Formats: sequence, structure tokens, C-alpha cells
Amino acid sequence: MTTLPAVTPAAERSAVTTAADRPGRGRRRSGTPYAFLAPALVLFTAFLGAPVVYAGYLSLRRVKVSGLGLGRGSRVEQWAGLSNYTRVLTDSEFLPSVGRIALYGLIVVPLMLGGALLMALLIDAGRSRAGRFARTAIFLPYAVPAVIASLLWGFLYLPRISPISDVLNGAGLSAPNVFSSSWVLYAVANIAIWGGMGFNMIVLYTALRTIPGELSEAARIDGASDVQIALRIKIPVILPSLIMTFVFSLIATLQVFAEPMTLRPLANTISATWTPLMMVYRDAFIRNDIHAAAATSVVIAVATFALSFGFLKLVGSRAFRQED
Amino acid sequence: MAVATAVKARTRRSPAATVLLVLGAAYCLLPVLWVVIASTKSAGELFSTFTLTPSTHLFDNVAALSDYRGGLYWRWMANTALYAGVGALASAFVSAMAGFALARYAFPGKSVIFNLILAGVLVPGVILAVPQYLLLAKVGMTNTYWAVLLPSMISPYGIYLCRIFAAAAVPGEVLEAARMDGAGDWHAFARVALPMMRPGLVTVFLFQFVAIWNNFMLPYIMLGDDRLFPVTVGLSGLLNQGATQPAMYTSVITGALLSVLPLVALFLSLQRYWQVDLAAGAVKA
Amino acid sequence: MRKAIGGALAASLLLLAAGCSGSDDDSGGTAGGGKVELTYWSWAPNMDKVVEGWNAGHPGIHVTVNKQDGGDPAVTKLLTAIKAGSGAPDVMQAEYQKIPTLVSADAIADIAADAGGLKAKFPDSAWNAVTLGSESVYGVPQDSGPMMFYYRADVFEKLSISPPATWDQYADAARKIHSANKKQYLGTFSANDPGWFAGLAQQAGASWWGVQGDSWTVTINDAATQKVAGYWGGLVQEGVIANTPMYTPDWNAALNDGTQVGWLSAVWAPGVLEGNAASTKGKWKVAALPQWDPAKPASGNWGGSATSVTTQSKHKKQAVEFITWLNTDPAALKALAGTANIYPAATEATSTALTAPPAFFAGQQDFYAIAAEAGKVTNPFTYGPNVNVAYSAYNDAFGKAAEAEQSAAFTAALGTMQTTTVSDMKTAGFKVAG
Repeated sequence: MTTLPAVTPAAERSAVTTAADRPGRGRRRSGTPYAFLAPALVLFTAFLGAPVVYAGYLSLRRVKVSGLGLGRGSRVEQWAGLSNYTRVLTDSEFLPSVGRIALYGLIVVPLMLGGALLMALLIDAGRSRAGRFARTAIFLPYAVPAVIASLLWGFLYLPRISPISDVLNGAGLSAPNVFSSSWVLYAVANIAIWGGMGFNMIVLYTALRTIPGELSEAARIDGASDVQIALRIKIPVILPSLIMTFVFSLIATLQVFAEPMTLRPLANTISATWTPLMMVYRDAFIRNDIHAAAATSVVIAVATFALSFGFLKLVGSRAFRQED
Repeated sequence: MAVATAVKARTRRSPAATVLLVLGAAYCLLPVLWVVIASTKSAGELFSTFTLTPSTHLFDNVAALSDYRGGLYWRWMANTALYAGVGALASAFVSAMAGFALARYAFPGKSVIFNLILAGVLVPGVILAVPQYLLLAKVGMTNTYWAVLLPSMISPYGIYLCRIFAAAAVPGEVLEAARMDGAGDWHAFARVALPMMRPGLVTVFLFQFVAIWNNFMLPYIMLGDDRLFPVTVGLSGLLNQGATQPAMYTSVITGALLSVLPLVALFLSLQRYWQVDLAAGAVKA
Repeated sequence: MRKAIGGALAASLLLLAAGCSGSDDDSGGTAGGGKVELTYWSWAPNMDKVVEGWNAGHPGIHVTVNKQDGGDPAVTKLLTAIKAGSGAPDVMQAEYQKIPTLVSADAIADIAADAGGLKAKFPDSAWNAVTLGSESVYGVPQDSGPMMFYYRADVFEKLSISPPATWDQYADAARKIHSANKKQYLGTFSANDPGWFAGLAQQAGASWWGVQGDSWTVTINDAATQKVAGYWGGLVQEGVIANTPMYTPDWNAALNDGTQVGWLSAVWAPGVLEGNAASTKGKWKVAALPQWDPAKPASGNWGGSATSVTTQSKHKKQAVEFITWLNTDPAALKALAGTANIYPAATEATSTALTAPPAFFAGQQDFYAIAAEAGKVTNPFTYGPNVNVAYSAYNDAFGKAAEAEQSAAFTAALGTMQTTTVSDMKTAGFKVAG
């Protein structure tokens, strides 16, 4: 570990300020927590808070063009009320893209978490020498950024290159075109599952390791099988972890972007508005309409809040709450 | 733990478990295997020889990639190391201070601050990139290293994790004892709490490292000068050169392989630190 | 409100950056001694080497090239910088079809006062593209992309087909080739390349936008384009032409292994073929585009760009001086053609810079003669202020049509493109006739 650049001076300054604020050393500590929080709060305000507020502001504005729109002064920015929101919500592409990610989520979340849970349980059960190897191998994709992962899978999906279609052809079957409209959703989902399974497996495995061994041992002496132990003891104990991985997978689903964006040039079947975030991208960068993009962003953010907190409330989880 | 290991040593091996685990591993390794093999092929062989037959052109490909615009690829790698390394280090440190304060102090506004930070977890990077650009442009910082580094230093998720780690790993009594000995708050944090939080901080570091390395939009929008690009943006540019230029597939594939290698090495060497108990807070509550 | 947020942010950034020295990036501005520093965004390969020629001879004006990923990302970044009020380069490579968009966003400057005299050095079609038919001048033409037909001469010879002079003959050739070998296609309909389709429509006589008094006209769905869409829809439905996009690894592989044996492309194609299908060297030949009416030969344009000065540049005069040199000086034209591998728009280039055929077509001495002829018969075409919207609608609508493989879906897709484009313009406030 080398020196800490950029932040260190700020941090030390905070500490100094704190000492100065506190005449009776160690007595009144009212300023201390704020000093510790200061760098985080400054960064948070500058790079999360302000942009979010700014996006909200932009979503209420619009650019009005007059005439041919050439020449100076033919564009004015003005208040738009909620018109950007009505435009987004009535856009004929919006609902289909929402429906698409709902379906996508129904594929990705259960398969990814199911796979992660299965692998975590298998490794935890310690019934195979392949455990260590599998743990490392399954975790490996987490090190591959989504853009590069999509690129690799993009190659593997092409019939001319895919070893899978070689195998299928060898067996006399014709490989399906994964970019056809009936398969493309699975093609994108597969990349997300591949990239996300390992991380979730590690989370669940970490939780499994906290279960005292005596618990399973006692059950085993009572004649319970591995499957029964997993279902009756292990899964209920790690349920809070499962819930949290579920919430984070849900958030990731709502934000799916990099995979379809990277695959798009390879396929006829991925439109510019394939997912809601792609619609934001289209509005901001292709249509040059940052105001509509901001409105869609706000809609997505609100939906994410509602869904994740709604779910947590539903299952009565107290994660995300404070413990004081 | 010792008991658990002892119990497991006595358990029988299960072939079914082995088959499932190997299948899972094979699924995860297939694209990695492909990229390793593909990077040994020349441009002509890439599309003509059997997919999983390796060839001998790895060094030619690396040389061609290194030659591209005077070794620009290696500059991208160095930039990535800078963005992700420095960004994640700073982020872990900022998160540690914030998490420590949230876990170990009671103060007015605490729950408001914590809830705000939690809400930040839910905001996608793609949405932030444009307003971040517009705001940074006001202070003339776009198209600089800072434009990518500074926004990368804040991680709401890291703060959330650090709060959990601090609450779990730093007992209040230890801090009280340190204060009794006359240590200031800063001293108590830096000398006592920080070392105790270290395993958790490595996790936060790795977490943010991956997040920065994965965030394509931010550098893509912020940087106009390709000497400042991280490797992901650079490779994507090699791939999409526009209609009038040929795509540089062999370079992209070789570049993808080389860019993933250091990260894989980092992950494997720090694997024992991966203890992400997302629900630790929930269990305690 | 905007100011307040900006101010708050600036304050917090200053606080944070207090401990750090300034950035090591030195873009823009004037260095000491009255020397002018210009930044130039371009995606042409080796443009930095071409610019070295300028820097060596002009110590007072130093130009730094920032290589971009391509036309679309560069425009995206430029427009974002314009919105932000800072961050734009001084000089910018701009594709012809993006010029109305950039003018409309007030991103590129009118340089008529300093560059108006260059008109005589360029063909009318190129000059029109940078003036939008007005008195203003929004850039100096750099390169153009007259469309031509590339084909595998060996395959044509084996099947004793002669290069098609008309689109009917092209269709016949496609049928013959595909029936001789079910894996082989004479071409593909690419839903990912709106510029390609626009060029083919241009050849047929379409001009998708136009100006009528103080309002725009949009005629994407006109008879000429309908004819082109219906033609390609028919070939795709028949199955004699592929329906997968160009510029994918699969398409590259197909060029390499001889399953794609023809390409309707432009003058810059040799570079792409050489990079993607090196193993087929010597097997390709080029001909003029097949014609709708052989009595009235016509061509279209795919690609091509101008060099513009941005509105944020503080040194517009010097920037114009540079782009004039870059696109008209004989030495610069030679470097553009030889080093940056582009087809200069300046009329003079054909006689001075383009004397030998490109290396990949070494056997075809008349390569540039065919290109020059195609450039001469290129139909006029006007682009509108929301080309990106229309092009994105092309991707989506024709993607669906290509997937459906129905001729009717192709002409219907054109209708979708037209409505999407018009409604976007109306929403933004543009005056649209009709």
C-alpha cells in the first residue's frame, strides 16, 4: 500500500479542525463525527447529490427550437413543466422496454441466485475435492468488466466461431441463431448470469461459513441427508443474505445496459430502446435531448427505490436500517 | 471453524457434487479459455481455424498491440491502474472514516445522512455521467485525470459496508480504552480502528476497484483525449472504428486478455479477504 | 438555480483539490510567447502524422490531435461540451450528415469571412454540404465517399457473370451465386448502416431533407427510397442476399472465407478489406454502382467529412488558417491520401495525390478514375438537423424488417422512419412543412 493521494490532506485537515473545535480535549466531541464524515459528504454532494438534483432540474426544462433551427438564437431553454415526463411515459417504446427487463429479471435473478446458492452449498458441504478449484473458477468472471464479458460472449455467440455450434453441427443438429428475436433475451441474460454468479456465490458462501458446524452435525446424527440439511438448516439461516443478494440483483436488473449495448452492433434484434437505460442513452446521446433523458432517469430511479424498498418492507427485513 | 473442518474431513466424497461443481466451473471458464486461445491466432486464423485450436501468434499479437499508436495500449493500462487503484484506495479510506463515524458516534442528523447515502446505492452510473460532466465542465475539469478520479472516490456502497465492518470489528470498549489513554479521536481511528477494519477495507477496496474498472460511461463521456482513456474505453474504440476503418479484432482480443490478467492475479492473491456478508447488519438488528 | 448548484460544486471541488497540484493535462489555451495552441479532434488514422507537417512549418500555431473513436462518439462529446459551455476542441472533424445538427446546436462556427474563397477548390456537392446551401460556411471539406461496387472477380469469372450494370443484373448475379453455393451471398442488407442505405437512396434520386422558405421538408418515405427499400426487401425475402449486419466479426469472417463475395461500398473500402480480409488480396475488383437507369448514371455518397471550427475556439482565425492548409495544400493532400488513407475532397487531389491505385487493388490501374467518375455523378442530397434520430429509427425499424425477411416490412419500416423523424422535429419546435 502506497501513500493515499488527494484525500489525505483533506482528511488530516478535518482532524486538525476537530482538535481546534474541542477546547476541553476529549470532553466535547460534537464536531468529531462530522469531521470524519466530511470528505465523504463533500464527495457525495459533489458527485452524487448535485448531479441527481441537477438531473431533476433538467427534467423540468426543455429546449425550444424556432424556424429552421439554424443560426444563432434559434434555440432557447425554457421551463417544460411535466411535459418531458408525459412524453417519456407515453413513448411507444417505453412500456415494451420495461416489459422486456421484467422478463429479463425473471430469467436472470432466479438462475443466477439459484446457481450461486447451489454452488455455495456444494462447496460448503465439502463433498468434493473440486470445491476449491470451482470456487476460484466461478468467481473469476467477476474480474471481467461487463463490456469485455459481452465482447467475449459476442464472439462465442457467432455460429462461425462458437465451439458449441461446432459440437451441435457435429451431432447433426443445427445450432439456433442466438440473435434471433426468440433467443436474444437469453443471450443477454446469459452474460449477466455468467458475470454475476461468482460474486453472489461468495456472498452466500461467506454466510454459510458462519453457521456453526455442530448444527449440521447434530442433524446428520439424527439421520438428515445433505439435501435436508441444506433446505431445513442452512438456507433458513442465510436467508437474510439471500434477501440482500436478491435486492442487489434486482437493482442490477433494472440497470442492465452494458451487455445489450455491446451486443447491439452484432444483432438486428436489439433496438436502441431495448432497456430503459438504453432509452436514456438514446435520448441523451443520439437524440441530443438531455431533458427527456433526465426525465427517464428520474422515472427509473423512483422505480428502483419503490421496488427495492417495497420488497424489503414486504419481507420485513431490517437490513438497511440502523441498529441504534 | 476447527470443529467444522474436522466434521467435514470425515464426510464421504460425492461424485454428483463433483460433476455439478466441475460443470459450473467449466461454464465460467469457457469464455476465458476462448480468449486465451483466440489471442494466439493471427487475424487470418481467427475466423478460419477451429475455435479451440491454439496457434503460435501470441507474441506477434502482443507486439502489434504494443505498436499501436506508439504503445498507447500500455498507457491505457497504466491509466486504468491509476483510476481503479488510486480511486479505490481513496474510496476505501473515505468510506472507512465515514463508516467509522456512522457506526461509533451518535450525533444529530445521523440517520438522515445514512439514509441519503443508502439512497445513493440505487443511482446508476449511466444516469450520473451527463450531469457530472456538465457540472465538472463548470470548473474546467473535464478531459483530465481528475474528471474520472474524483467521482470514483465516493462509493455509497463502500460506506454502507464500512459501517457494518466498523460496527462488527471495532468494539466500543477498545475505543473507550484508547481515549482513556489520552488518544484523540483521529488517533483512535487511525491507530486503533483502522487496523481492526483492515480485512473489511480490503473488500471495500476490491469492490470499488471493480466498480471503477467496470464504469464505462464516466470515462467515455469525460475524456476527449485518448491518452487519458482507461483500457475498457480504449478497447471499445479499437472495436468500433467507424465504417471507413477495419476493426482490429486480434488486437482487441489480445488487449482484452492482457487487461484481465492483472485483475485476476489481484483477485486470486486477495481471495481470502473476500468476506462480503451483505446481511451482517440485518443479522445484528 | 443552475448557478447555485455550479457554485456549490465548485466550492466543494476547490476544497477537495486544495491538497493536490494542478492536473498534468495541458489542453487548450495559449502557451507563453504568443504561440497559439489548437486542439483538433479527428478519428482518421495517423492524423497526428499529417499534422506534424503543419507544426514543423508553422511555429506560431501548434496543433495537437486528439484521436477520437469515430464520427458518432466525437459528435456526442462535442455536443456535451457545447451544452456545458467548455471542453470543446478548436477544430473538429465532422461528417457531412452531422453538419446541420452541429450548426443547429451552435457547435460549429460560420467561417465564411476567412474561408469563403475556397469554393473553387472543391466539387459543388462537397461545398454544398458545408454551406447547407446558404451564404455561411461551416467547415472546409476534407474527404468524400463516392459509392462503388466491389466484387470477387474470381467468383464472377468462375460462374461467368459479368459485373452488373443495372440493379436487375445485380439481382440476377445474386441469385446465380447463391444457387451455385448456398453459403455464398453477393451482399448483405445491413440494418446497422443507415449511411449505406442513405447513399443507395441518394443514388436513386432521394434527398431526405430539404429547406422550403423557413421550414424543413422531410421526404424519407418518397418514391425513390421506397423503390430502394422494396428492392432490398425483395432480395432478402427471396433469400439470395444475407440479412445480417456489416462490421461484425461474422461479416469479417464471411469476407475472409469467401461467403460474402460482393460489397456495395465507397472509395475507402480497400482499407477495410485489407484490414479484415487480407487473405483475399488480388481477388477483388471494383466497378461503378449498378444503375436504375443506365442512360443516366448516378451514384451516392457513403462517409466523407469536413473540418470545422467550433464556436468555443478562442483562435478562430488561426484555426481556419490550419484547416485551409490541411485540406487544400498539395503537401497536406498528399499526406491525407498517403498517410491518413482518406480520399481528399479537393478537386486537385485526383491529379496530384491519387496517382497510383491503393495497394490492395494494385492490379486495377483505373481505380481512382472509377472513383472520380462516381464522384462526378453523385446526386445532390440534403441532410437535416436530426439525422441521428432518423438513423437510429433506421437501425430499429429495418432491424425488425431484416429479421422478418418480408419485403412489405421493408417499405413499412420506411414509414416508421419518416414519422419518427418528423415527430421528433415537431416536438423540438422545428418548422416542418406538410
